Amino acid sequence: MNPRRRSGLLLALPALLFLAAFLLLPLLRVLREGGLRLGVWADPYFLGRLGWTLTQALLTTVLAAVLGGPLAYLLSRYRLPGQDLLLRVLLLPFVTPTLVAALGLSSLFGPHGLTHLDLSDTPALLILGNLFFNLPLMVRLAHAGFVRVPPMLVGAARSLGASGARAAWEVAVPLALPGVLAGMVLVFLYSALSFGLPLVLGGERYGTLEVEIYTLTAYELRLPEASALILGQLVFTVAAILLYTRLNRAVSGVALARALPRPRGGPALTLYLLTAVTLLICFGPLLAVALRSVLGPAGLTTGFWSGLLDPDSDPSLGLMLGNTLRFGLYTLAAALLVGGLHALGAARARGRTLDVLSLLPLMVSPISLSVGYLLLYPALRAEVPLLIAAYTLLAYPLITRSLLPALRAVPPRLLEASRSLGASGLEAWRTVTLPLVLPALRGGAALALATVLGEFAATLVLTRPEWSTLSTGIYERLGRPGAQNLGEACALATLLMLLALLCFTVLDGGKGEVT
Amino acid sequence: MRNLMTLALLSASLASAQTTLTVVTHDSFDVDKKLVAQFEATNHARVRFVKAGDAGEMLNRLILTRAAPIGDVVYGLDNTLLPRAQAAGILTPYRSPLASNIPAAHRLGDGTLLNTVDLGYVALNYDKAAFQKSGLALPTSLAQLSEPAYARLTVVESPATSSTGLAFLLALNHQLGAQGAIQWYRTARQNGMKVTRGWSEAYDKEFSLYGGKYPIVLSYASSPAAEVFYSEGKLKDAPTANLLLPGSTFLQLEGVGVLKGTKQPALARRFVDFMLSAPVQRDFPNRMWVYPSIPGTPLSDVWKFAQKPDVTAPSTAELQQGQALTDTWVQQVLRR
Repeated sequence: MNPRRRSGLLLALPALLFLAAFLLLPLLRVLREGGLRLGVWADPYFLGRLGWTLTQALLTTVLAAVLGGPLAYLLSRYRLPGQDLLLRVLLLPFVTPTLVAALGLSSLFGPHGLTHLDLSDTPALLILGNLFFNLPLMVRLAHAGFVRVPPMLVGAARSLGASGARAAWEVAVPLALPGVLAGMVLVFLYSALSFGLPLVLGGERYGTLEVEIYTLTAYELRLPEASALILGQLVFTVAAILLYTRLNRAVSGVALARALPRPRGGPALTLYLLTAVTLLICFGPLLAVALRSVLGPAGLTTGFWSGLLDPDSDPSLGLMLGNTLRFGLYTLAAALLVGGLHALGAARARGRTLDVLSLLPLMVSPISLSVGYLLLYPALRAEVPLLIAAYTLLAYPLITRSLLPALRAVPPRLLEASRSLGASGLEAWRTVTLPLVLPALRGGAALALATVLGEFAATLVLTRPEWSTLSTGIYERLGRPGAQNLGEACALATLLMLLALLCFTVLDGGKGEVT
Repeated sequence: MRNLMTLALLSASLASAQTTLTVVTHDSFDVDKKLVAQFEATNHARVRFVKAGDAGEMLNRLILTRAAPIGDVVYGLDNTLLPRAQAAGILTPYRSPLASNIPAAHRLGDGTLLNTVDLGYVALNYDKAAFQKSGLALPTSLAQLSEPAYARLTVVESPATSSTGLAFLLALNHQLGAQGAIQWYRTARQNGMKVTRGWSEAYDKEFSLYGGKYPIVLSYASSPAAEVFYSEGKLKDAPTANLLLPGSTFLQLEGVGVLKGTKQPALARRFVDFMLSAPVQRDFPNRMWVYPSIPGTPLSDVWKFAQKPDVTAPSTAELQQGQALTDTWVQQVLRR
């Protein structure tokens, strides 16, 4: 092994140990408990589920690319009023608990929906839900790809007589393609492996493999079948992840800040149209939920919000807010440490193994992990450290994924120059590397925090009432009858979104990029 | 006052020398904190509640971890889950002296493993306004409910993933027999009945009262009372009512028991007694919308909007068919 590789692995060692303890060992423990019954794959029912899982993910990916790709390109070429704000709020769907997203979507596209377009009981609602969560990701990933394309290349094509669309298609797209394709693979993976959304919106007919794994594990206690499904799912996710890392490594260049012109004519029309569609898909459901927090059966009301503030309400709003922030910050700190070291190690080792490993947490079923935790860590089962570890496992890949391309893009000559001017390795890192990768780090941190804020604790570990967070508060209220409970759930969801927006503003500053 | 209590709780958690009793519950569990604090003070112990998912998930987690139990006491296993809990051997016998007040018909099994804390009636509810507007008469029998005119107005929960869903299937089984229950389900589904995974999807999303398109929903006979209660006095009457078709209701009994392997059997037993004590029995009806198991416990005024259907608890033999019935349902109804 060459020394670079060895020091890279050494840097990533804490992250690797973390992965072993909270991902690999728990999964192996579940396998040992239940064994494997591969015969389940001969059942046409499960093959059908696999087919639908891949179909809906593919459909989502194509739609996200068709809508998000052009929008991202235009955003990288023209100045849209409020563009920074747009890119920042595009992260909001990430924090939205799935049941809230589902409520919002059915307020828009349900039987009495605001759009008068009834999509309930069709697969369209699930695809729209997927888009709600993934279109923002596509826009931001493609945008990060397009801002790396040197503007003079597009300008040169234009001055040689190419139309705007042709210059985009023949110059910008090929250059940004690896980044855009990597984004598409990520959207595909997220849509194929997402759990909450098909659980709620898919109904019995459009459930995915992940939903079947959940049912087999949590309700039917048929671990051998569940393990066989997990293994099958791993096959296609590993294939997708290998493709992703290959594409992602081809992303090169540094994002350049520059003054952008205002769009006119055709580009303006397309830009505004695509922005409007994106806003409708990504914020329509959120606005519908916010609206429901002030709209009672008898018209406008403040009753739901004042119900939250009622000192007798249990758990109190203060407790929920405090826990949400506390768990979020603990997790962020842990994720920055684990994710940062993983990225540094992977960048230094230059191999693909570490790169692929950082994507592992995205592809395992959280429900199987939770069973593994139960069996493996009896003493930790209802303790805060396990909760934080479980959250960190979900959040840290986002930091590694953001940081890694930025680290790779740091020109080695800059570091060499600072070293030859007498800076120590650490000093060079602090004065040269860190400032260059800071935007990516901040963007990744915002995304990681967002993931945690909206996470529903009970899916991963045993919870305790004193751990109530905003998202568990939402689920708790949705579990009881009455307009007041539904309204308070919507008010809590609105509050969660506002909190997330605040976090993004502080962390991301609107300038951070997420890849 | 609240701050003082939080402080007391915090300092209690810091005093590690104190005994801790871990109570495993389902996610819907809720009890007055003051009562728990009293129990803690009397017994010089700290009570730690652990929520382990809904009742079905909770049972599976208890079965998985029976070698190293996650708690000392469990609350929330019901009569539909008792056969599986019994077969897995996760409980240790204890019959509270207070349980002698519980009518024999409301005992869980022979009453040795679980002590009935509360009971609830799983029942169909309907949206009054929606029915009034449609001018359609209410269905009067299960057979009629499965016809296209009514089936497409109905949303129920899946027996494979929801306790209300399983309760409904067991009620059908009691009324129509195993074959008849599956046949009824297939007909109703073909005719447009919607099946959701859990209660909140059915009630918050599909029920017409909250923007869905189904004016008939599978819930509890106490839900109309909860509707009035949670409207904070704005509603004088319930917007929903029970649709008590013969053979459609199910008496669900929830209990508390001591987990096998507890290191504090005495304290665990005292907690079982605590759940059956008068103050706790009085406290939870308006929190969990179920009836107290000890007869004579007063109920608040809003319970006049709830109904006690004329139904008895299913027999042990019927309850033991639950798992097989669900498997058949999954194979012959869901996956068709």
